[in-house]
Amino acid sequence: MLEFRNISFSFPGRRGPVEVLRDVSFTCAEDEIVAVIGPSGCGKSTLLSLAIGLRKPTAGEVLLDGRPVKGADRRLGMLFQQTTLLPWRSVLENIELGLEIRGELKAQRRKRALALMQQYGLAGFERKYPHALSGGMQKRAALAQTLAIEPTVLLLDEPFAALDAQTRVVIENDVVKICRAGKRTMVIVTHDIAEAISMADRVVVLSRRPATVKQIYQIPLSRKAANVADVPSMQEFTYFFKSIWDALDISVTGMSAAA
Amino acid sequence: MTRLSHRPLVILGRLAVLAIILIGAELGVRYGMLSQLFFSSPSQIFEALLTQWSNGSFLQDAGITILETMLGLAAGSLLGMGIGLLLPQLRLLSSVFEPFLMVLNGIPVIVIAPLFILWLGLGVPSKIGISVYIVFFAMFIPVYTASLRLDTTLVDALRVMGASRSQIFWKVIVPSSLPSVYTGLKIGSGLALIGAVIGEFVASRAGLGHMILYASGTLDTPTLYLGILTLAIFAAALSLTIDALGPVLVHWRFSDEK
Repeated sequence: MLEFRNISFSFPGRRGPVEVLRDVSFTCAEDEIVAVIGPSGCGKSTLLSLAIGLRKPTAGEVLLDGRPVKGADRRLGMLFQQTTLLPWRSVLENIELGLEIRGELKAQRRKRALALMQQYGLAGFERKYPHALSGGMQKRAALAQTLAIEPTVLLLDEPFAALDAQTRVVIENDVVKICRAGKRTMVIVTHDIAEAISMADRVVVLSRRPATVKQIYQIPLSRKAANVADVPSMQEFTYFFKSIWDALDISVTGMSAAA
Repeated sequence: MTRLSHRPLVILGRLAVLAIILIGAELGVRYGMLSQLFFSSPSQIFEALLTQWSNGSFLQDAGITILETMLGLAAGSLLGMGIGLLLPQLRLLSSVFEPFLMVLNGIPVIVIAPLFILWLGLGVPSKIGISVYIVFFAMFIPVYTASLRLDTTLVDALRVMGASRSQIFWKVIVPSSLPSVYTGLKIGSGLALIGAVIGEFVASRAGLGHMILYASGTLDTPTLYLGILTLAIFAAALSLTIDALGPVLVHWRFSDEK
């Protein structure tokens, strides 16, 4: 279980410290998918960088199975918004990267990477360089790169924002399946309400900066649906969409007033 | 990029231009249309080559300049690459040194050259020194700038995977600098030769620069042209060699498989 306990974070700015997160607490159980949603620039991504140990919270702590996370932890894997495939390595070598860093033997890590490529529909692209892959394929390869080290907790930082709508749904569905099959814990940060409802069991809504937890919604749809693509056509979808939209409190009156 | 079907025509055209220049110079000088003081015919230049060859000075002069250039290029590139990669890792040191390096880079090499002669003497070492000096900056500046603009997501991704500082250095920072190293080599190879010849011009006892300067002083126009042509051929060969390094250094950019 991953727990964010009373997390506050601020960084020094030109006119004194800038407060980003204020007393944020929520948990994510094993085999649970939690989406964190909030207005842009509210510090959603910061939350993940704190969990993964890239930054330290000003106050509070991130606990994994009851113990504080310190620095890089091999139980945590992260899928970034931007590509993390090294352009000078072939797709296969990229997927091996995490295992290579851990000092695994070449034969072993190659076997594991090849199996992952087969599993995620990347077979035939082993020797290609990342730039030769489509956006969707690159994302798949990055996912395989992250999963190669078999993390129990998967953190996703707006990973699908740059993909086209169809590719996006396919990959969202894959990620949900992978997560559920491996009984993994997953936290996805997104600004897309539909994505949050379609993928997550719970949605945490953050407020504007300094971000606090505004509302937490229990969403039963993802687990009921056979496929992520089916969720938006389910009856309760609109209800959750409207509720979360209202909780986000985004002003849309500006344009109509101008027109 | 020339179209494939145009290729034979382009090569034919280039050969024609070369032929016109050579034949024009030969006939022009022979029949007095071009002054022998200012121009030389290919046959005169070839004669000068034979003279220089037989007394052993051609091979010596060319050899010395090539040696100075290659050593200057190698040492300057390694130094520029090493410091360009390491300095950004040491933020404090890099902030301290940056203005000094930028000022040093701004000084025209021609005015630095006499200092190197003073320090290292009339022989080969001073020419290598000048060459190293300008090649260093040609390599240092692109590598240093690229290291400062490193893609932090890649570094973060490796840190999350548990990579150590040295693993990040060798797996991300060094490979991501390779396109800049290639740029540095391309610019540096031309500058290495310029550095060596400038040194020879300022003060020397041998080398192609010395040969050209001496020929100019004695109004030996064919030898003057011989020197220039030899330098041109060497420069072209060097540039072709560096171009061939591209697919080795930045192999992923040269793989155009889609």
